[in-house]
Amino acid sequence: MALELFQLQFDSNPVLQMLAKSRNVRPETLERWTEIPPVPIGIFKECVVSAIEAEARSAVFYSSGTSSEFRSRHFHCEDSLRIYETSAIAWYRVHFPGSWQRMVFLTPPPAVAPNSSLIHMFEAISREAGSINSYMGNLDRSGGWSLDYEGTTEVLLQAQAEGGAVLVLGTAFLFVQLLDYLRSRATRLALPPGSAIFETGGYKGVTRELPKALLHDLISRQLAVSGAAIISEYGMCELSSQAYDGVAGHPSSERRFAFPPWARFRLVSPENGLEVGEGQPGLIQVFDLANVYSSMAIQTEDVGIRRGDRLELVGRARAAIPRGCSLMTIATD
Amino acid sequence: MNLPNYFLADLPAEAALGPTLIREACLSLKRNRELYLARRSTGDLVNSLCAVAKEWLHPDYPLRRMALDDGSRMTGFSRATIAAGLDSFFRVFTPDDFEALLEQDLGHTRRLDAVTSHSAERQTGRAAIAVSPALLVHITAGNLPNPAWMSIVLGVLVRSAQFVKCASGMSLFTRLFAHSLHEADPKLGACLEVAEWPGGTTTLEEELFDEADCVTATGSDETLENIRQRLPSRVRFVSHGHRLSFGYVSGEFLAGSNKRIVIARVAADVAAWDQLGCLSPHVIYVQQDGGCSAEAFAELLANELEVIEAVQPRGGLPISEAAAIASRRSVYEIRAANSTETRLWCSQNSSAWTVVYESDPRFQVSCLNRFVYVKPVPDVAAMLAAADSIRDRVSTIGLAVAESRFQELAGILGRWGATRICPMGRMQQPPLTWRHDGRGPLAELVTWTDCELP
Repeated sequence: MALELFQLQFDSNPVLQMLAKSRNVRPETLERWTEIPPVPIGIFKECVVSAIEAEARSAVFYSSGTSSEFRSRHFHCEDSLRIYETSAIAWYRVHFPGSWQRMVFLTPPPAVAPNSSLIHMFEAISREAGSINSYMGNLDRSGGWSLDYEGTTEVLLQAQAEGGAVLVLGTAFLFVQLLDYLRSRATRLALPPGSAIFETGGYKGVTRELPKALLHDLISRQLAVSGAAIISEYGMCELSSQAYDGVAGHPSSERRFAFPPWARFRLVSPENGLEVGEGQPGLIQVFDLANVYSSMAIQTEDVGIRRGDRLELVGRARAAIPRGCSLMTIATD
Repeated sequence: MNLPNYFLADLPAEAALGPTLIREACLSLKRNRELYLARRSTGDLVNSLCAVAKEWLHPDYPLRRMALDDGSRMTGFSRATIAAGLDSFFRVFTPDDFEALLEQDLGHTRRLDAVTSHSAERQTGRAAIAVSPALLVHITAGNLPNPAWMSIVLGVLVRSAQFVKCASGMSLFTRLFAHSLHEADPKLGACLEVAEWPGGTTTLEEELFDEADCVTATGSDETLENIRQRLPSRVRFVSHGHRLSFGYVSGEFLAGSNKRIVIARVAADVAAWDQLGCLSPHVIYVQQDGGCSAEAFAELLANELEVIEAVQPRGGLPISEAAAIASRRSVYEIRAANSTETRLWCSQNSSAWTVVYESDPRFQVSCLNRFVYVKPVPDVAAMLAAADSIRDRVSTIGLAVAESRFQELAGILGRWGATRICPMGRMQQPPLTWRHDGRGPLAELVTWTDCELP
């Protein structure tokens, strides 16, 4: 199926033809999914990696970053968004099996940030869940996300008073902001039993960085949720599937990321491009069958370690973004 | 590695440093300075430094051997890279070089010994003596030894007690140099302390900053600003932020037999300290009117880097840095296969070296570790326009141009904003007199007592 999808994408996408040419690969000669050449996400910054005709593109997701930087662009149409939402919701449900009286999003609402794949996913999840939803984030002047501190505290206090389980969702950076604020006000919250946390993404150097374990520990103490109820997500705008490092409310001794059955990952050595063994660090490649209209195979700039069929995230390659646009003339719309 | 416990950094890793220990170390450094250092002559100190340098240049010097053996294991540089770096650093330690530095920065070689006058001062009836900070603190970053070593040398010259704070796990080279000073001149060694802890450990740094008279620091703008904010207002702060460097090769200079020499020099600059210093070139601009196109130049440079790899291999990399190289290569590989605007040459089955030719002349910040860009430009003006985005952060521009044009070009580049111009092949080998970031290295450390003579 992966090979068929690659053939389809190859036929309809000049960028994949360019990539295959650079690797001397012809789709009809491939025998295994591991031979499919993944598109480096750097290419999403300068080329349109999409089989969708320009007039049919109804949405575009950008990678995070400021507007002055080159950002990845992942185009969608009605059909690809349906697949994206189906994929996202299904795997989210497996990892957040509870039901929520309230969902509190620390991000801005979709209307304010229509180009965020994360917020699009949040919206899809919340439509399904039918809970009371609040978006507590704003856009600041530079286009970054910031938090309505007082509003968030108020909503969380209200949730605390109501007593129904609440799910708080946001980026690690927004959680750091919230925790800093709560601490400055000497405020400690106790979210109702059964509540959970959905946390994702890096910090982008915007505020003080915290190691993940420390962040989770602080969340746990300041919001009174157990460590097992804090789940990290690993996703990116170039993909249509996500990975999670646990199931909310189910304690596990090891936090490792699992992709859905329709996505796989490989780890390759940055030295020679060959797959590395179990326990060895390598660059993460994701093969996501839900990425129908762009590229099913993606080469990330992140480093991970394989632990069985799961992934341990190690970090991000340093400054992996070459500026320049020499291909833009070839493969843009 | 077996070194006596002279310095805090020699203690086993589990030995905990506390604020009291730091304060006591500072106080005893200052006491020792009064006893052993404050009244020594400049000539005497220069002799000590030159003697130490001579030892370091000797292949059998035990501390040099430790730097090569343990350094290649602990710092990620190969033995050959460390050896080449040590040689070029210590080679310039001669009495003449030190005199040139003292005269350049302080106007007189005995300026730190007594109230003296240079000729213009004599004519106007004036004299002066340079006064040193009692305790000089250095906050060093990274594994590259030269900046920390040079800071220590300057501190010795001005007779300050010195406390060198290294980043966690990065004290090896500084320790070895401190031991060499201690071994050659134990009283000098008693005025020096080396310690390491994670940057921003405020309990320790508060004590250190309280005792300091002058603090020097290298690092990112963010790190430097953080230190500045925590210094008492009476403490002088000498900071050096990250800088970028590049090279320029003129077309006429590439003609004939020069070509091979230029390529070898450029490759040596890329390979020195694995391109990790602020003085290493990110981009080589090649003027497009000579006997060699920028593209052909890039290919020759790639061949030369491959040759160097065999004799002076690049060190092993942490996975994140290798991943940065792999990520960049993967993008350039696709560009190169589909457009003549980009070409890529790189080591096979390793991240050891990479050359990217891009027709787009805009300055590109490299991910370093021997990853260099080659770009064509019609002339110097076009190069400066292409590098405008980094104009306020430029350190060195290496030149491969005809000697007759060198000074004229250097004037243009200096007015544009570069703080150092040197021939290609010497980018990582600044002389002792080098004005780091355009500022006199000794002049920054001292204050003056002026005398109007009767």
